[in-house]
Amino acid sequence: MAQTEPRRNSLLRRMKFGNQPIRYKLLFHFLMIAIIPSLVLGVMTDWVVNRIIERQMNENTLQLIAKVNKSLEFYIGSVQNTTYLLAYNPQVRAFLTDSRPSVQTRSEALAFMRGFSTLQTEIAGMMIVKSDGDYLSNDMYARTPGDLTLEMWYREAVRSKGIFRVLGHPNKRNVTTHANYKDSEVVSAVRAILDPDTQKVLGVVLIDLKLRVIVETSQDVRLGKTGVLMVMDEKGEPIFVPRQLGFQKIPLPWLDNQPSGEFVETVNGRKLQFIFRKTSFSDWATIGVFPTDRSSPEVRQIRLYVGTFVFIVGLLGITASFALSHSISRPIYRLMAFMQRAESGDLQIRFWGGGMDEIGMLGRSYNRMLVKINELLQFTEKQERQKREAELRILQAQIKPHFLYNTLDTIQWMARKQDAADVAEMAEALARLFRIGLSKGNEYIPLAEEFDHVRSYLQIQKQRYQDKLKFTLDLDPSIAHLPVLKVVLQPIVENAIYHGIKERRGPGRITVSGGRQDGRVVLKVADDGAGMDEWTLQRLRARLAAPSREARTEAAGTVDAGEPVETAGSAETAVPGYGLSNIQARLQLTYGAENSGITIESRKGEGTVVTLVYPAREEERPWPHGK
Amino acid sequence: MKRPLLFTVYGMFTLLFLLFFWYYGIRGSGQDDWNESSSGLSGDIEEKYVMVTFQSDIDYWRSIMKGFEDAAQEINVSVDFRGATRYDPDEEITVLEQVIARKPAGIAVTAINPQALNGAIDKGVQAGIPIVLFDSGAPESSAYAFLGTDNVKAGAQAAREMSRLLNGSGAVAVITQPNQLNHQERTKGFQDMISKAFPNIRIVEVADGKGDLEASAQAAKRIVKEHPEVDGFFATQANGGVGIGQAMKDLGLAGKKVIIGFDTDKGTLDLVKDGTINATLAQGTWNMGYWSLMDLFHLHHGIVQPNSRGPNGSPPVPPYTDTGITVVSRVNVEQYYAR
Repeated sequence: MAQTEPRRNSLLRRMKFGNQPIRYKLLFHFLMIAIIPSLVLGVMTDWVVNRIIERQMNENTLQLIAKVNKSLEFYIGSVQNTTYLLAYNPQVRAFLTDSRPSVQTRSEALAFMRGFSTLQTEIAGMMIVKSDGDYLSNDMYARTPGDLTLEMWYREAVRSKGIFRVLGHPNKRNVTTHANYKDSEVVSAVRAILDPDTQKVLGVVLIDLKLRVIVETSQDVRLGKTGVLMVMDEKGEPIFVPRQLGFQKIPLPWLDNQPSGEFVETVNGRKLQFIFRKTSFSDWATIGVFPTDRSSPEVRQIRLYVGTFVFIVGLLGITASFALSHSISRPIYRLMAFMQRAESGDLQIRFWGGGMDEIGMLGRSYNRMLVKINELLQFTEKQERQKREAELRILQAQIKPHFLYNTLDTIQWMARKQDAADVAEMAEALARLFRIGLSKGNEYIPLAEEFDHVRSYLQIQKQRYQDKLKFTLDLDPSIAHLPVLKVVLQPIVENAIYHGIKERRGPGRITVSGGRQDGRVVLKVADDGAGMDEWTLQRLRARLAAPSREARTEAAGTVDAGEPVETAGSAETAVPGYGLSNIQARLQLTYGAENSGITIESRKGEGTVVTLVYPAREEERPWPHGK
Repeated sequence: MKRPLLFTVYGMFTLLFLLFFWYYGIRGSGQDDWNESSSGLSGDIEEKYVMVTFQSDIDYWRSIMKGFEDAAQEINVSVDFRGATRYDPDEEITVLEQVIARKPAGIAVTAINPQALNGAIDKGVQAGIPIVLFDSGAPESSAYAFLGTDNVKAGAQAAREMSRLLNGSGAVAVITQPNQLNHQERTKGFQDMISKAFPNIRIVEVADGKGDLEASAQAAKRIVKEHPEVDGFFATQANGGVGIGQAMKDLGLAGKKVIIGFDTDKGTLDLVKDGTINATLAQGTWNMGYWSLMDLFHLHHGIVQPNSRGPNGSPPVPPYTDTGITVVSRVNVEQYYAR
């Protein structure tokens, strides 16, 4: 827990907007600027257009419904007129007033009535019922011989006192049409005919109007693409309800007693919009029904256009955002990469590119800064070097070799004067040893001088060992002038003394010889001292075979001084390794491993021979070596 | 790093748009509203089919119109009814030509006589309006079909019924409308059957009832006066039957003379019920109307016999449809009243 917490924090911190790369920030902002306004615009356009269209469609629908109502009223009005025409007809009047109308009267009245069915095919049937129950009709008759004046519709007409009434679908009446129209196929209307003088009901005209007329009128009207019309009478009973609606009636209170209006209700689990208007004539309601879950095709089309517009704007916006954010962030990235390279040490690089804008200016400032840094660096370096050189000069001035030589000469002269010949000789040898050892700083000296150096050294050692040490130097005069790395022999001779002669019982001899063989200089240091056993010899040879690392570093540092390589009491005293491998390294670094080297021959109790080989060259610097 | 991000944004945006497009552009543009399963034949309410009759006030047309209306209701088309008010060929021609001029989806017409309407019918067919004939035909016209009673057969049927009622011998009279094809055929069928199968029955007269109740009653009274031996009447038309019945009642001969009427209007049925008329022949009137509209609908929508194009093609719809005939007597008269 304790471990994951900081990690999550860091992840959160990385996810935080402020820590995002500048490119993403720019991109995000640009996208917001490009897309959000177009989205908002799209949604608002859609909303406004929808509202306007919906309002217009509702108005349109109301107008259509009004039109339908008008034609319904027209049909019903003509039925009403028919009832008046019938009432005014003398034959009909005679039928109604005569207590026993003649056959002649009847047939003339029937002929008159027949004329209407010719002209008004929307009438399914008509009937005149006299108050005494007698009736007159071409196409309707009582189903069973019963008193028609007791029927509901008759009484309704009587109650209305000569006012025309539309009753809706006939309901359980004892009247049928000859052509067998079902109750659901007709709408009946009645009007009582009154005696003008007494206001007594003479009879009732019953007219059945074919529902087909209403159906055709209402189906003829297309309410957009999705709406249908239904007609309901004033009692809420359906006059005409299209089959596809799936319901027969809607509750009357939904209309709220308004002459027209609209409302949304859920019927059979489907949300529907109703727009209605009542007919002035009969208080029927003509109702347009629309499913709300489907927008009208106009709205869909506009929505499609708006969507396409938003899409195109968004697409352009995205492209522009990417281009813009890229064009701003790329120079910054380049500047950043350049700075990182400079940071990692490459002070020579310069920032190219970037025009005259801020990034370009930044880059140029940074360039100038780099130049300044470089100048500063060079200045301090120079100062350092001058300081070191000065110190070195002081140091050199302190150890003047001439002062040493002169001192040794003085010692030599003082010894001669006091007849101490051996002291004089030793001082002279020491002076020579130093002179050759320094040899004005040259790395190479002629072989003759190297031999002089060894001789001086042996003379000094001779003073120490007296008769125990004998030596012979033998240099081929033809190679005496050839150059050699200075002080290569002395360490070997030193080894021969310390490990050979000193260990030996009785006096020993060291022979140093130099000669030419196959174009190479061969220098040999032989002693008849203690020698080495096989194991030591193997180790020594192994070390010489790989003089590389430690010897090489040492060669650079200590060998020049010409001191004894082994310090007394060191663990490696038994193995005269370091001095030899130093020389080996110097030779091989100078002349190459294949042309030069040291070989050792030794036998326990008989002595050791160390042989140096290197190419014989006239020039002082045989290999352009080192830096 | 940059490209994939760009393409991701593009891709997502395009995907969103395609979804949107699918939702508003493609989806549901085909399907209809109210998930109405428009199964079977269905026309458009704007299609108007017109029925043209003559003497349009007679009740006989009512049940044909009902059949026509029922068919229209069934296949969701509009119908209209036009007709000559009188028995007047010129008036019917005028009415028919007026209807043709309004280019309806189809016309069902009943011919007042076999020739008079040929010109108008041919004109209508040439104008591309499907026209069928019902009830009474005009065989020489170019109307596509005729739907109606096989009148010769109906006449023969009446003759057989007459023979059965008269036990094979007697004198009969026919009251008809001599200048109308269907009545001619009924009379002919009746006469042929009598002379062929029932040699003991004699036809005393073929009288003109003018298709009118009063005229038929007058004719019947005259025949009874001129031929007192007459035993039976055959009326080829509804009003004729009622007129004869009325006349027999007036003469006090109701039930004593055999009367065979035609059609099943209220008056005829009532007389069948009280025994004045012994039998009447019911036509398939509803079928005439219903199948006329069906024929017209099929013609209008080209749902016809495939090789029917051109002058020598086969008939696109059945050229002749017999709507059948039924003998209605006291036994089954109740069935023919409206319910």
